[in-house]
Amino acid sequence: MAEEKKFLTEDQVVELTALFLSCSLLLLREPALYGPLRQLTAAERLAAMVYDDVSPEVRTLLDVALERIPVSHTVTGQRDRYKAIVVELNEALGDCLAARAGLTTGGGA
Amino acid sequence: MSNPVLENIKTRRVVREMTDEQVSEEHLEIILEAGRWSPTGSNHLPNRFLVVQDAELIELIRRVSPGIYSNAPTYIFVCVDRRNFPTYIDEEADDPVFLMDVGQAAQTMALAAHSLGLASGPVTSFNVPALRKILNLPDRFTPWIVLCLGHAQPNPQFVMKPGKRRYWQDLVYRERFVPWREFEGG
Repeated sequence: MAEEKKFLTEDQVVELTALFLSCSLLLLREPALYGPLRQLTAAERLAAMVYDDVSPEVRTLLDVALERIPVSHTVTGQRDRYKAIVVELNEALGDCLAARAGLTTGGGA
Repeated sequence: MSNPVLENIKTRRVVREMTDEQVSEEHLEIILEAGRWSPTGSNHLPNRFLVVQDAELIELIRRVSPGIYSNAPTYIFVCVDRRNFPTYIDEEADDPVFLMDVGQAAQTMALAAHSLGLASGPVTSFNVPALRKILNLPDRFTPWIVLCLGHAQPNPQFVMKPGKRRYWQDLVYRERFVPWREFEGG
């Protein structure tokens, strides 16, 4: 694991906590699709908060998150397009985790 | 047929990306007056409108409102004041009458805003218990919808991808329901 760092300010901690707690309340009555949508919003906000402080490997992931999550919000009514973006984000996550662990990816090609 | 009211209804869109330009007081008052003129059940006028334009308050509101993606500079919360309920309405029982009042007020104000060249977008995804604290709302005062108001970004970065267009004929039945007329997808 990489060296432990503190990235968030107290204000950012409050902002993310407010988002998670608000979602925990609102999702009791909101459509099921809003669940992943809200989680993507949280991921996007976290990415923006820490972007300048992370390593190049993590920044690659955050680049994908900050570019693709806003697009995902425009296709929530189109399940296939929405899912394709979420899969893309999770592939970037896998690449990031593998890179941080010193593993190669790409299916051995 | 040229009819400015119908044209206004057809051309209004939900707008999320706005400029920093504030809504003028003159326009704000026109929109609020339009909201006052929206119909309410039995004319009980349960709607109350809370306008927020203070940037710090807006930032706090956004933190507990996951559904607000807009950077609008003005929020109008359409609230219901239970003191104005007739006795037959029970908010706890999800009586739809006051929700219709709220929805009609929001739509009326959205159309008024559009007629003035302003943009708007309604949001219901906000944290009421937290907002009660932030906005100093009494228990009898419940916000049900917030209309985000401002000036549309001329070139929005993110635009909702249009789904399959439904025409009014797809949504209408005459006299009795007929199964074969059902639109694909329900």
